[in-house]
Amino acid sequence: MKTYKTILTAVAALAALGAIQSASAETLRVGTECTYHPFNFRDSSGNLLGYDIDVARAVGQHLGAEIEFVCQKWDGMIPSLLANKFDLIVASMSITEKRKKKIDFSDPYRVSIGQFIGAKSKGLKFFNADGSVNAAGFKGVKIGLQRATTYDNWLQAKAPGAQVVRYDSIEALYLDLKNGRVDAIMTNPMKAYLKFLSKPDGAGYDVIGPQIEDTEYFGTGVGIGLRKGNEALLKRVNKAIRTITDDGSLEKFALKHFPFTIHPKKWKGAG
Amino acid sequence: MSFDIALVFDSIPKMLEGIGLTLELLFLSTSIGLILAVITLLMRISGRRFLAWPAMAYIYVFRGTPILVQIFVIYYGLPQFDLIRESIFWAILREPFGCMVVALSLNAGAYVSEILRGGLLGVDRGLHEAGKALGMSTPQRFIYITTPIAVRLAIPAYSNDFISMLKATALASTVTLLDMTGVARTIVAKTFAPYEIFIAAAMIYMVMTWFIQRGFGLFERRMSRYVKP
Repeated sequence: MKTYKTILTAVAALAALGAIQSASAETLRVGTECTYHPFNFRDSSGNLLGYDIDVARAVGQHLGAEIEFVCQKWDGMIPSLLANKFDLIVASMSITEKRKKKIDFSDPYRVSIGQFIGAKSKGLKFFNADGSVNAAGFKGVKIGLQRATTYDNWLQAKAPGAQVVRYDSIEALYLDLKNGRVDAIMTNPMKAYLKFLSKPDGAGYDVIGPQIEDTEYFGTGVGIGLRKGNEALLKRVNKAIRTITDDGSLEKFALKHFPFTIHPKKWKGAG
Repeated sequence: MSFDIALVFDSIPKMLEGIGLTLELLFLSTSIGLILAVITLLMRISGRRFLAWPAMAYIYVFRGTPILVQIFVIYYGLPQFDLIRESIFWAILREPFGCMVVALSLNAGAYVSEILRGGLLGVDRGLHEAGKALGMSTPQRFIYITTPIAVRLAIPAYSNDFISMLKATALASTVTLLDMTGVARTIVAKTFAPYEIFIAAAMIYMVMTWFIQRGFGLFERRMSRYVKP
């Protein structure tokens, strides 16, 4: 048995709240990795923190349920959910067609986005004032990205004039952006912020244009995973996500770790 | 395990788009490498320490480190120095193609100079003496006796190195270039069919190797006229 689990006591406030709301408080066990900074991780004193953790707790609060976290390695995440080791996956799991065959997903609580990053001084104009793609601004511009990613497909479709330079690793992207071999890079702004923009190396560089939220290319985003055939719970979870999106909770959770928000701006719901 | 044989043949035309770059890398760096090799060889056999030692150091460094490491040092390492980025070399080192040619040429230079030295040492002493007896000067003996025979003796080892260089060009794909392997890796990342695509790439490399082998075989025959009637 490789999987081990650690059951954490729920936060005191939540527990109290659950106790007030109903005598027979529902308990929801939440599977997460506990090692994926800054989404689900432990601080130096062992407390679980992160965007996923905040979302799980907030959803629990709106559901009137107590949340128990179960730490689970990534490769066993879906099997453990199916084996009833826990009831929800809140672990930065992207909604994909393949996974949807096994489990249900809630509406997204985090987006899959791409964004351009480049030197502030270059004055690159990739977007028009209304946020649409300015194809002319890409003409002859060298854009670095990781080989055969969704960004690659997006760029080829939307800005065929750009000169695409394909890399094997994301670190190489930052290096060559700094070395001036590419004019800009296209990547996930969360990763770029954590590894590059927030570091001394990233001084003088910034995001160019808005977050690109194109579900056709980048997918629906990250949702909460549930066992199939749990329609009632799925509905309640979706309602809770809707609430914490609208009341600004998700924004607050994101701003703890990033200087920007990471939830879907245009609410669509899982199609 | 499913093997899609049609995919192998479908991917070959796409991969041939990269063959131009592969050949450019191969011929440019073997040519520059050969020039470097001859210079290094002459330094090495000059009998003057201040020439021989740098040549030996150069050979040692480039034979003693993996090409991939050399490429990474040249591609990612050198631009860390502002001095390099502001120098005239930046025009070459800025481009991944330039970095690749520099790395492969330096590598070829080191190996080939040793191959040529081997050929040189293989030339029979008696031939020198015969040349001397005919009244040939030292440069004359070097040009008309030593060099042709040394070249002939070096061909098998040199063709070996040439083929190694063909395969070393595949490392260009690690620095964003779309040579044949670069194209292959991009197709793999899209089709998730590594087996079929890399087999197709292997087939193209083997065809190229066959032509190289054949070319060197003919060259060797021509250079061996003096032994085979």
